[in-house]
Amino acid sequence: MPGSTPTAVCQPGTVHHRIDPTDTRWFQRAVFYEVLVRGFYDSTNDGTGDLQGLTDKLDYLEWLGVDCLWLLPFYDSPLRDGGYDISDFFSVLPEYGDIAHAVVLIEEAHKRGMRVIADMVMNHTSDQHPWFQESRVDRTNPKADWYVWGDDDQRWSEARVIFVDTEPSNWTYDPVRGQYFWHRFFHHQPDLNYDNPQVADAMLDVVRFWLDLGLDGFRLDAVPYLFERDGTNGENLPETHEYLRRVRKVVDDEYPGRVLLAEANQWPEDVVDYFGASGDECHMCFHFPLMPRMFMAVRREQRHPVTEILAQTPAIPEGCQWGIFLRNHDELTLEMVTDEERDYMYTEYASDPRMRRNIGISRRLFPLLDNNEDLARLFHAMLFSMPGSPILYYGDEIGMGDNIFLGDRDGVRTPMQWTPDRNGGFSNADFAQLYLPALMDPVYGFQAINVEQQQRDPSSFLHWVRRLLQVRKSHPVFGTGSFEVLHADNPAVLAFLRRDETATILCVNNLSRFPQPCELMLEELAGQVPVEMSGRVPFPPIGELPYFVTLAPHGFYWFNLQVPGEESGPRP
Amino acid sequence: MIDPDALIVRLPELLPEHLARQRWSGAHDRTIEDVELRWHEVVSPDPLLIWTLARARFGDGEVQDYQLFLGARDATALPEFIQGKDREIVALIAEPAPGVVVYDALVDPDLTIAVLHLVAPEVVVEHRRPIVLEHSNSSIVFDEARILKIFRKVEPGPNPDVEIPRVMAERGYDHVLPSLAELHRDGCDLAVLREFLVGSTEGWELARASVRDLLAGGLPPEESGADFAPDAERLGGVLAGLHLAMADAWGVEPGNAQRWADEMGANLAQLVAGIDREGPAAIPVEAIDERFARVADLRDAGAEIRIHGDLHLSQLIKTDAGWKVLDFEGEPARRRSDRFTTSSPLRDVAGLLRSLHYVGAVGLGEWGAWDEDLQDLVSQWERRNRTSLLAGYLGTDGIGALLPAEDAERDALLAAFELDKAVYEVIYELGHRPEHVNIPLTGIRRIVQDEGAP
Repeated sequence: MPGSTPTAVCQPGTVHHRIDPTDTRWFQRAVFYEVLVRGFYDSTNDGTGDLQGLTDKLDYLEWLGVDCLWLLPFYDSPLRDGGYDISDFFSVLPEYGDIAHAVVLIEEAHKRGMRVIADMVMNHTSDQHPWFQESRVDRTNPKADWYVWGDDDQRWSEARVIFVDTEPSNWTYDPVRGQYFWHRFFHHQPDLNYDNPQVADAMLDVVRFWLDLGLDGFRLDAVPYLFERDGTNGENLPETHEYLRRVRKVVDDEYPGRVLLAEANQWPEDVVDYFGASGDECHMCFHFPLMPRMFMAVRREQRHPVTEILAQTPAIPEGCQWGIFLRNHDELTLEMVTDEERDYMYTEYASDPRMRRNIGISRRLFPLLDNNEDLARLFHAMLFSMPGSPILYYGDEIGMGDNIFLGDRDGVRTPMQWTPDRNGGFSNADFAQLYLPALMDPVYGFQAINVEQQQRDPSSFLHWVRRLLQVRKSHPVFGTGSFEVLHADNPAVLAFLRRDETATILCVNNLSRFPQPCELMLEELAGQVPVEMSGRVPFPPIGELPYFVTLAPHGFYWFNLQVPGEESGPRP
Repeated sequence: MIDPDALIVRLPELLPEHLARQRWSGAHDRTIEDVELRWHEVVSPDPLLIWTLARARFGDGEVQDYQLFLGARDATALPEFIQGKDREIVALIAEPAPGVVVYDALVDPDLTIAVLHLVAPEVVVEHRRPIVLEHSNSSIVFDEARILKIFRKVEPGPNPDVEIPRVMAERGYDHVLPSLAELHRDGCDLAVLREFLVGSTEGWELARASVRDLLAGGLPPEESGADFAPDAERLGGVLAGLHLAMADAWGVEPGNAQRWADEMGANLAQLVAGIDREGPAAIPVEAIDERFARVADLRDAGAEIRIHGDLHLSQLIKTDAGWKVLDFEGEPARRRSDRFTTSSPLRDVAGLLRSLHYVGAVGLGEWGAWDEDLQDLVSQWERRNRTSLLAGYLGTDGIGALLPAEDAERDALLAAFELDKAVYEVIYELGHRPEHVNIPLTGIRRIVQDEGAP
């Protein structure tokens, strides 16, 4: 059966890696690609994507130019929560393959200069996990204190219920043990008891296991909730930060160059705590509010929603980085934002039926943008030039659509569309066997939108994204340079500088659907020549007067500012 | 080196023509009889920088003091910064050779920094840029971080544009820009340095963009992308907060409805005296008068407090730190002594409501199409934003204590202030932009015909 055994043999030490092990800051410059193993490519023709299938498609990802893959959970699981309910941390979900497939994937990615990180759920396990099965038997077994048990369901009532639609309480009664167990998420996901040193150690062993296999790091799911304390809401407790510092120390001491990315659905000023006061917790955190603010800015045709949130974003410690994205597998929900931001979002969205329609529903980028390719280009140009490491969501590089009739989050998890052939080239299984139906609608279906067609068409969105990625990757200032908003008289224009000792890049974005003029105040840079970065065309030099540019609807420019006489390149 | 004394004695003969050319002087259509220097000071000898307060006496006997910073350089090699700045050149003096060019020092990068150091000696700056198109002041931005506002028309005593933001900021009201440094002389405020908020936008520009988007999209305002209503509501709250802080700082008097009505009547009389009532700008004087008379009859006029006095959407900027209120000088066409420094807070609210009307009307005019559907859209836009602004204002805790207790009386007073503002606008437009006079006339007609909001 194809794919049942790994097609490349793992021989540690012999594989030619294109990964520089001494580069411990790679994540500050990297472009990430979030991929759903289940939905990427099916090598076994059982209707579900697998690790070998992903390995088969690494050449495509290398061609696209991504630096790091982020895999959603692929561990053994009853799949009641998309794999975030792990029943064995040390094995792979059989539908996806086995440990050997995971090792081959990592090795083959490394050969191509790509790193691989994966989701890891620290906070809880599935109730099917052997640890829980043992813990629930009685109150004296060796795992009796590995979970959080209580005689009643009243303690820690200050802690909010996150999934209010399905969970009445953070406590659920277990008839086997005759006690309640604590769970911040679904009632089939009991929280681990981190006050038990054995649990804290066991989870470090899980971390070491995967890093030993070559994984380049983790996205740590739901980190704010590891501990519980009386009189608190159980979020962001000092004990949680202390444990993260312990995880970080293991990484730094034993696995330098690997990365921890925190998923803390919180406000930037709270999220920064997860970098640690001196950068000694997570290397990266997601910047959640930037994405909805970008949508708001384009909707309002003004820069303020974006510049406001960036002004409210605190500085982060040296050696850290934000993870920024346009879309991912989850959505921004109003529960995660501050009261002030909730008021802001409600005020802004409440009367706007178009925006309200999309709150709380997972949509892909293109449907959200009414399939407007110019707008999608502007969004990518902003994503790739703003402070942070961009994270692409699989399929967005070809403009895939969604299927809102699948409900919940499945609508944005349909199979990757490779070709116009059966099942979009994702799988040779019968259509009815697919884990989710491939899109077949006339606008976004695989016959209209697929990798093969766009690879053949040099003016496709896919080729455009690839070229933009190349430009970004050749200028590390995008990853680590300063970010300085420029004064522009026209509110529809967002202009900023990215700057470090080696380069100054000027980015100008038109948030309006109409052509716009703009005068930029650049006298500080008088004498320099803006060179447009996609075509290397020099623009008129900056003078003492405001610098005047005109922008096409949703147009943008990236200029590399050069001092005359210092341009690189051969001379006649 | 240029002899400063020889130059200073010649200034009174050179300045009248120069002043008449300046936008900020308000003297382009008046005759300046003569100019005398109230005081002068040589700030730097080379290049020469003279700082002076010049008193102009007009043909009608009025006088006005102007603050000037004058540079002078050798005329053999005209510096580059002066190229194309004919309006800023005071004079080219040929004798004695090689001659001297005298100019407004604010176009000179070096001397501008010398001016800054008069205000704030310790500030280190690298770059500066002047802000063009200002009516009554001159402003310069330094390093995109600070803005120096130089008052051109100087009147005795503290300038409310310095005093009010300072006091408001001291009281914790954070929708103003407090002073970083101030320049005073003889009890007059002459300049103020403030933080420059990069990326800020005038409310007028944002509202204009909203109307443009509305007209281009053809959707109702609440479905149009650039909906302004959330900001209108915020602005209502910002204004109410300002009024509460001003009432707290300078006290609250019972509203004097009779005086307000008299002021409105006087304003109207000035208008009537100046125009042909049978002409195209027909004004329903009796109906306006009747509305003003209702003010005099109010049982409860609310409070009289210190107010902004000239609030419109260009006096509000949206910044990354929220909305900020600017320009507390009052209506520039009036002398400070004639401006409304205290009144009902509803006078400011009326100013913003009139501004919303203007922005819609100007937007529609620029769009160049007058079909009924578009007019209706703009009316919807204005109604929506009026409602939001008033909701934000009236919804602020404590503001009710400053207003007439009864809604009907409050609305009557607000409508009268809107009318009064519109009368002022008619006078202004007839003098400056006759093509716009229909905007305030429409505003007047709407109110007197009891249409109220659009």
